[in-house]
Amino acid sequence: MSEAMAARRTVSVTVNGVAHERVIDARLTLVDFLRGELGMTGTHVGCEHGLCGACTVLLDGQAVRSCILLAVQADGAAITTVEGLATGGQLHPIQEAFMEAHGLQCGFCTPGFLMAVTELLEGTPDPTEDEIRDVLGGNLCRCTGYEAILASVKLAAAKLRALRGTVAGDG
Amino acid sequence: MVEFPQSIDDLPTSMPRWVGQPIPRVEDRSLLTGQTEFVDNITLPGMLHCAIVRSPYAHARIKSVDVSAAAKVPGVVAIVTGEDARRETRPIYTAPPGWGGNCLAADKVRFAGEPVAALAATSRYIAEDAAELIEVEYEPLEVVTDAEASVREGAPLLFEERGTNVMYQRKFVWGDVDAAFAAADHVVTERFRWHRVGANPMETFGVVSQWDPIEGTLTCRGSFQVQGFSATGAAATFGIPLNKVRFIAQPHGGSFGGKGGQRGTTITTMLSRKSGGRPVKWIEDRIEYLSAGGGQAWDRHYEASLALTKDGRMTGLRVRLLDDLGGSAEGYGAIGAAKPLASFTGCYTIEAAEYDLTIAATNKLPCSAYRGMGPPPHNMVLEQLVDIAARELRVDPAELRRRNFIPKDAFPYVIPSGNEYDSGDYEATLDAALALADYAGLRARQDEARRDGRLFGIGVVSTIEPGVFNSNVYSLVGFPGGTAQPEGVTLGIDLFGTITARVGFAHEGQGQHTVISQIVADYFGVEPDRVRVVVQDSMNAPPGYGPGGSRLGVAVSAATLGAADRLKDKLIRVAAKLMEANPAEVELMDGKLRIKGTTGAEMPIGQVAATMLTRSDLLPDDMEPNPQATYVWTAPGRTMPDESGRVKSYLTAANACHVVAVEIDRQTGEVRIDKYAIADDCGTRLNPAIVAGMTQGGLAQGVAAALLEEYVYDENGQLLTSTFMDYLLPTIYEVPIPDKTEIVTPSPFTPLGAKGMGEAAIHTAPAAIVSAINDALAPFGLRATETPVTPNRLWKLLQQAKG
Ligand code: FES
Ligand code: FES
Repeated sequence: MSEAMAARRTVSVTVNGVAHERVIDARLTLVDFLRGELGMTGTHVGCEHGLCGACTVLLDGQAVRSCILLAVQADGAAITTVEGLATGGQLHPIQEAFMEAHGLQCGFCTPGFLMAVTELLEGTPDPTEDEIRDVLGGNLCRCTGYEAILASVKLAAAKLRALRGTVAGDG
Repeated sequence: MVEFPQSIDDLPTSMPRWVGQPIPRVEDRSLLTGQTEFVDNITLPGMLHCAIVRSPYAHARIKSVDVSAAAKVPGVVAIVTGEDARRETRPIYTAPPGWGGNCLAADKVRFAGEPVAALAATSRYIAEDAAELIEVEYEPLEVVTDAEASVREGAPLLFEERGTNVMYQRKFVWGDVDAAFAAADHVVTERFRWHRVGANPMETFGVVSQWDPIEGTLTCRGSFQVQGFSATGAAATFGIPLNKVRFIAQPHGGSFGGKGGQRGTTITTMLSRKSGGRPVKWIEDRIEYLSAGGGQAWDRHYEASLALTKDGRMTGLRVRLLDDLGGSAEGYGAIGAAKPLASFTGCYTIEAAEYDLTIAATNKLPCSAYRGMGPPPHNMVLEQLVDIAARELRVDPAELRRRNFIPKDAFPYVIPSGNEYDSGDYEATLDAALALADYAGLRARQDEARRDGRLFGIGVVSTIEPGVFNSNVYSLVGFPGGTAQPEGVTLGIDLFGTITARVGFAHEGQGQHTVISQIVADYFGVEPDRVRVVVQDSMNAPPGYGPGGSRLGVAVSAATLGAADRLKDKLIRVAAKLMEANPAEVELMDGKLRIKGTTGAEMPIGQVAATMLTRSDLLPDDMEPNPQATYVWTAPGRTMPDESGRVKSYLTAANACHVVAVEIDRQTGEVRIDKYAIADDCGTRLNPAIVAGMTQGGLAQGVAAALLEEYVYDENGQLLTSTFMDYLLPTIYEVPIPDKTEIVTPSPFTPLGAKGMGEAAIHTAPAAIVSAINDALAPFGLRATETPVTPNRLWKLLQQAKG
């Protein structure tokens, strides 16, 4: 281990709206930081080499693979993980959609898909099937064969649009 | 005697049934919010982390192991080597027996990645740093990676003491095969090569082991597919009583039969013991999984022949299989060579069959089980022979199959290899699939494509998807176990009237906890999400075998119904006493005990249960104050193999027909799936959304086995596909989303008529895709016989056409 990797660094991040500061090894990956240091184990590790997408989190709103980022690279950032989706005991509409459309089996890949889809639907409320496939194509699921995940995302988009419509209508 | 309802209609409710509906799963809220406790989420006080030192050589003698530098690294607490393993543990159980070693190799290594030493440290980072400092000196030996070479005289021997690399050899003959072939008008023969593929659940194996040095007990938490089996294995490995071993199956991220983890469990246990009882966690990383885990299966060389009469009746089947099991028999991969006996002759009335099976050792990773457990390659071979025959006889492939189907009134039907199919209507399934795919339209498009010089092909394949495994058939290759594969459920009603089901298997992805909830909901008149399913550890759970071999949906629904029936009987007797009626006059309906034929006299189950728990003075004389009942189900009528290997193994025979059209790019050899249609029959569908998910998931794995996935080794036994960059799991881009339809012939052998279907479409898809490819190639007289049919392989083949 090189000196630089062994060096200790201070990292400050906001995760799901809560500020955290830790002194850590510079070589600690972001996913190990989230899971090990902060105890937020909802983000999963499927490959540790950037291919499966299970570890996807939002870093300042952008979907990233937390297994191939160092925690120090996230210093100062706002991170959203799967634990940040549901509020007040209510599932997020994307989570609801995955439940209703059976978009998960073992559920191990699911947090990564949920975060990737969150990014998609925030920027593109009415995505085409190609746009959805484009995002889903970056994540691996070994259980579902993707059919129900695709249906879940379509349902989630519709739910979110309906909600926005209601809010707009109320306003 | 427990009474099982024969169909969903027999459940004691007047309401619409939950069973049979695609209701959302009770497992999902926790999964969707990241709350489910996968093994890697566990942190115990004082816990250490394990890293494993692995052999870089595929075949070598170990000269020395020096751990002194690693031992000095701050944070390292315990180190174990092959010598420790030899002293403290028994060799890993293997099937066939006697072809393995200990969890850490002491004398020699037989595959690259084999563990030779391990250590436990205060973090995984420190553990991996220190592992690099363990010095192992090897004397490399000659390597054999090809099964055909390994069984030849003079090949380097993996287990010198055995004097051969042949782990198993047996020729099974059922019926007069020679006569069938002698009398045949047509015999078609072909050789096939199926390369290694495997499970690759998104979660690798993980375990936290804790040895209690005072009590001499062992507790392991892990992603165990079958916790009781793993616990038994650990007790045997360490020579300790089984009642000192507690295995806790954590919910896990898929398995598909290939979770592996025996060695990791033993290694972490040794490390925990050596560190004075501190818990030791090992989470296999993906590269360890791919190169040294439970993820490789079915490395096969086939030669097979089919005999037919001139009118296209199939009369005999010969299959010779050389199965490359790799560097030991520890992964139970050999059972994949035995399971084809459950459906050896497919959907057909072939009366004579022969299976010449050789299992060989090579310097590659020991093979494991994988979803489908062996028939997917076997079906690919059989169905290609049928297609070749159809071409030779100039009969439409769908028609040739139809002529040979077991007729729907012939069930139960015993096939030459001894298994009994429960029910089916293969013609109906075929017709449904052909209609769904617009078969005539596809053939018209094919004509048009051929006129344009394009390579367009159609595959039509019907298979059996056996369900509810039994290890009796696996015993043929030395797997431990007899005919009972128990599954138990305990149902109890508490003081508040809520119902809890206690089971012995963790969530793995197939949604069986939901199925239990559906059944209990209908049986006792509650909402499914009011039923709690609790997973018990190996010391507390009723006997059980968990998921595997497409068994659990059937097994656990039967066990749930059995427990419900016993609980109902108790409630009826108590209610009868309280209502001053004869028990024979009391019935359960919509969650109430009521006197038949009257209105008004009734008691909700919760009231009866609460009375049982609080007023022993009111109970019938011999009644315990315990509103709880257990039932342990096992498949009825199973037998051990007879002298010719015939065995009634899998209880149910689901059936599927896949129709697929592909177009091959002549320039690149790439296969594009143009159309995919599936009709299947798995009897009663307990939760159609779960069934659809299993089918689609199995399809993805089947398509990938046919086109993408392959473990590639070089001649030194080095794995060239040790990351997801090279081992190609399918993404959404590669998985077709088929049209699906269903036929329902309920099983007469299972409660509610369901058939096992968890492995589902992987049985059928590889055969169907290869058939379609070969149909596209037929005008050139070419044939793909090696899977996966990668662009590279296909392009090379096409060069022959260009000549
Ligand atoms: S774990 Fe990060 S991409 Fe697989
Ligand atoms: S649901 Fe199991 S990997 Fe996606």
